[in-house]
Amino acid sequence: MREVRWIPLGRVRFREALELQRRLHSLRRRGELPDLVLSLEHEPVITLGRSADPRHILGDPVALQASGVEVAEAERGGDVTYHGPGQLVLYPILDLRGFERSIKWYVWALEEVMLRVAADYGIRAGRLPGRPGIWVGNGKLGAVGVYVRGWVTMHGLALNVAPNLDHFRLIVPCGIHGAEATSIAALLGREVPLEEVDERARDAFARVFGARVAPADVEVVTG
Amino acid sequence: MWSFRFLLTPQAIRMGSRKEVTLADIVIPPLGEVEEVRVVRWLHEVGDEVQAGEAVAEVESQKATFVIEAPVAGRLFAILVPEGKAAAPGEVIGKIAEREGER
Repeated sequence: MREVRWIPLGRVRFREALELQRRLHSLRRRGELPDLVLSLEHEPVITLGRSADPRHILGDPVALQASGVEVAEAERGGDVTYHGPGQLVLYPILDLRGFERSIKWYVWALEEVMLRVAADYGIRAGRLPGRPGIWVGNGKLGAVGVYVRGWVTMHGLALNVAPNLDHFRLIVPCGIHGAEATSIAALLGREVPLEEVDERARDAFARVFGARVAPADVEVVTG
Repeated sequence: MWSFRFLLTPQAIRMGSRKEVTLADIVIPPLGEVEEVRVVRWLHEVGDEVQAGEAVAEVESQKATFVIEAPVAGRLFAILVPEGKAAAPGEVIGKIAEREGER
């Protein structure tokens, strides 16, 4: 059976996580690391994917920076995205040749993990054609944005557990006007601890990817 | 893969000689049920040296960026699908003039 290491990182600044991902990605490509998933939340940050339109950032970048919201570029696919505390971010560093050699399958699988977690909480979320991510009506509950080189992945998914939804007003989510962000906490009307969602995401990931998922330390993995 | 003899064409001058040049295709590989991608970024300009396996372009489909690597070492000779344009898996998006003796 496939094995995937699950590495909890806690709250990490976007740039730091990006550096780490790039390092792990190149090690994985050289076969010097096993498949792994980084599980974390970010300090508030707006990131621009490869197809980003800067006009989809609604705040003035200087004012944003002053209010503690970083703006950063990312090599993942997609437009403008917000990340912040209360959002579960998973960055799988996987060699897809050991799973399915298909970008479409991979994006589907990441959405599937989020859909199963949502279903665990009794939330009926779904997919919208041409709009990757998971949705509850017009509300975006989870986002996907990935980068693949040599069939090894980085970046991944972000599931809104209980983030500050006001922060999403700083952007046009994924460049879609009229789309709004929602969260598990907002839909349930109660607090939802991130650790609990992380655990459920781990189980869902194991099922969707057909893998045994074992917690690990980043130091243990990189030596 | 094919071979051309360029006689003092602008390309040949840029290649620095009028000898035979072998062009290698930069192809979008099968990505798994993906019918169309968009070329989002060329990481080199025509004329740049590239190493075999070096990232030369990025294509995107449905929130996924996929990196296209140089199949051989040489010079980027032509960009056939520019940034922002669509292409399909299997399509040739550029050509590399192979460095001699590196076949």
